[in-house]
Amino acid sequence: MRRQIPEGVTEVRIRIGGPAGFGIKAAGQSLARVFNRAGYETADLTEYPSLIKGGHNTYHVRISDRPIYSHVLDTDILVALDEQTVEKHLGELTDGAAIIYDPGDFDIETVEGIRDDLCIIPIPLTDIIYEVDGKKIMRNTVALGGVLGHMRFPLSYLEDSIEEQFSHKAPEIAEVNKACARAGYEHASKNGCAFPYDMKPLEGREPKILVDGNEAIGLGALAAGIGMYCAYPMTPASSLLHFMARHGEDRGVVVKHTEDELAAMNMVVGAAFAGARTMCATSGGGFSLMTEAFGLAGVSESAVVVGLFTRPGPATGMPTWTEQSDLRFAIHAAQGEFPRVVLAPGDRDDAFHLSWQAFNLADILQTPVILLGDSYISDNRSSIDPFDTSRVHIDRGKLIAEGEVTDYLRYRVTEDGISERALPGVKGAAQIVNSYEHDEFGYGAAGERADVRIAQNEKRMRKLDRARDIVPPPAYFGPDEADLSILLWGSTKMPVREAMSWLAAEGKQVNMMQVVTMWPFPDEEVTEFLGKSKRAAIIEGNYTGQLQSLVREHCLLDVDHTLHRYDGRPFAPEQVYDFVEEVLG
Amino acid sequence: MPAVKEYTTPNRPTWCPGCGNFGMWEALKRALSELELDFHEFSVVWGIGCHGNGADFLKTHGFHALHGRALPVAQAVKLARPDLKVIVEAGDGDGYGLGMGHFVHALRRNIDLTYIGHNNQIYGLTTGQASPTTDQHMKSPSTPKGVLEEPINPIGIALAEGATFVARGFAGDIPHLTELYKQAIQHRGFAIVDVFQPCVTFNRVNTFPWFRERVFKLEDRDWDTSDRAAAFELSMTTFHELLCEPDQCTVPTGVFYRREGVKTYEDGLAAYGEPLWKRALAPRDISDLLAEFT
Repeated sequence: MRRQIPEGVTEVRIRIGGPAGFGIKAAGQSLARVFNRAGYETADLTEYPSLIKGGHNTYHVRISDRPIYSHVLDTDILVALDEQTVEKHLGELTDGAAIIYDPGDFDIETVEGIRDDLCIIPIPLTDIIYEVDGKKIMRNTVALGGVLGHMRFPLSYLEDSIEEQFSHKAPEIAEVNKACARAGYEHASKNGCAFPYDMKPLEGREPKILVDGNEAIGLGALAAGIGMYCAYPMTPASSLLHFMARHGEDRGVVVKHTEDELAAMNMVVGAAFAGARTMCATSGGGFSLMTEAFGLAGVSESAVVVGLFTRPGPATGMPTWTEQSDLRFAIHAAQGEFPRVVLAPGDRDDAFHLSWQAFNLADILQTPVILLGDSYISDNRSSIDPFDTSRVHIDRGKLIAEGEVTDYLRYRVTEDGISERALPGVKGAAQIVNSYEHDEFGYGAAGERADVRIAQNEKRMRKLDRARDIVPPPAYFGPDEADLSILLWGSTKMPVREAMSWLAAEGKQVNMMQVVTMWPFPDEEVTEFLGKSKRAAIIEGNYTGQLQSLVREHCLLDVDHTLHRYDGRPFAPEQVYDFVEEVLG
Repeated sequence: MPAVKEYTTPNRPTWCPGCGNFGMWEALKRALSELELDFHEFSVVWGIGCHGNGADFLKTHGFHALHGRALPVAQAVKLARPDLKVIVEAGDGDGYGLGMGHFVHALRRNIDLTYIGHNNQIYGLTTGQASPTTDQHMKSPSTPKGVLEEPINPIGIALAEGATFVARGFAGDIPHLTELYKQAIQHRGFAIVDVFQPCVTFNRVNTFPWFRERVFKLEDRDWDTSDRAAAFELSMTTFHELLCEPDQCTVPTGVFYRREGVKTYEDGLAAYGEPLWKRALAPRDISDLLAEFT
């Protein structure tokens, strides 16, 4: 479906597209920043292939004066830095949409399917940068000026953003960029197309922040007092490594780009043993390499946090695209049985709060905690309320960091399965933390005894019962009574919430349960939710229905309707809307 | 300060009678005692193998890690805990096979660790297969027609990749080994002591008598420990023909090379300084950073 923007609502969708290496992501983020600062809500979607130059990159920015939850498919302004951008995105252009392009790049009249209703805005991007003594990369800036010119939106917001962006460079660089923006603005504002809105900066709005999922997780980890971050680069987790290196080191975080993921995971286990709050993050391929050491964290009872940000697999898969196909992998990774917690943020606010909570859960339970995300949440920014940092608190559980202990047993068998954990350096605590099955002292020699094995195994598994009491509960959206109840997890929350807002405006009764803690699986809550539903559906971004299989397994229930996606793209709210319409008849 | 016997746990060693690990265990206990290292002042990390079973026998606040992965764990302990001496015990299959990637990268960091290589030139715990340091042509259950590869040269690799203290010991000479351990632990930077420790059950070639006929001490020959190139040249004598006569192949022990005052990895880290658990005493203030995201 193509959604009609309701009367009285201002909403503009802009796509910038061109080859990799043209600074498209920076331009898109700059655009989002401009409108975020002007009081609008924004939701971004970046799409790019795994290469450094060439190919086809795009950045889509959705701007609205109302609360929004996700990207959408439509585009009202297309900035085409090459011809294929027009070809590929013509179909998503709304009636009367504008195309900003450089007539020196290609002849737009010959593009197949070009429509009469479109507003064609030729701007000589390359000529302009030569006129102002700019560089080729500044074509973007001219185009951004063009976007604002077409919208007749005050250029000053872009100028301020440019000044800030280049504040650490020579002043003439900002000046040249501003000249580029001005020239683009003038060209576009003189074109004859009307713009449907009279957009002005919105007064009196509370300022919002613009973060992607990895930034949110990084901020959460910093707030939680992380001491060591180890990782090997892998899309879409690499930007968290960059974030930590850039912002963490000066804030007391040891950041190590390791030789491989095996080292990263083993290092965080070592750091946890030494008492640091510690984390690594990767995608499925890297986590495959980490799995043995992930199990080591389980048996050694190490408090570690692991970010697993999914891209379509298996093997190298589709590096820069998204999927929700690692849920079962996260729940089952590593041989043997041990307790773990798997948390799946659904949006960037979840990402921040689950991040700091993950460190508390790891410390309290002395077991690994996975933050299970994906490219969609990791890579894309949206404007959200600043994180409520007053909620952040630190609970390190039964940790003894200094001093002296007597009658200490590292793996003492306790009722809740959790033992005191004295760090190296504490007097009287010289025992072994072990990858072998072990006795209460940590010694492996006795670990092969049947009674010792049973006692230690049961002790560890009891921690799952404790986990059930303290893990984040599911989240519920929409009315209590609904004609359709949707069960989902992870980033699919965003497009579904968006579609729900459209459906609600039409008087359709749809509610949603977001499973937040994937493991231990909240079988009671899911059973209750599905039991109360008139009709239920599960929406998840994978082929096999991994959440659905957990529901069958743990609740002995099933749903009648499912929606899957596994083409590397996130669900679009339009797709969810159509699905719900079909289900409701 | 703990006496030598206090570094022993109540667990009875399970090594084969006469195993080279006994000598290494004894030498380490003596070194720790002579250096007056109390149990809260050091940590030992083991890999998996016969050597690793020593985790049950040496009293320390230690970590018995995965096969081949002792080094990443140990490096993290050092980076998190400047207040601890950290010692790594690894096997030849463990450290120079599965763990070789970690070994090379740890070397080039010159991180302040003591790395003890239990080199019995065989896989003991998995019943006698050829290891990365098994001599060429030696037959084993996994190489019934003889090993085709050249053995790994751990000393040469350590020299090539930047270790600042490189030594070789022999498990049959406990006083000498104790002295090497003491120097390695006191060295600031990556110190490796690769120790020949004959496997009395599975290695029928490189036995205690075999070594006794061939080892000599570098210090007895006024070896210049500052000459890295000469040390590298010397390391090549690790390679010898299988079943070579004693006069054809000698085994140098002692310090091949040492250099003090080299910057360590952690010297370059802005965040290195206090134990990292102190970073989580209270939530970190991120308000300044949040402001950057408006």
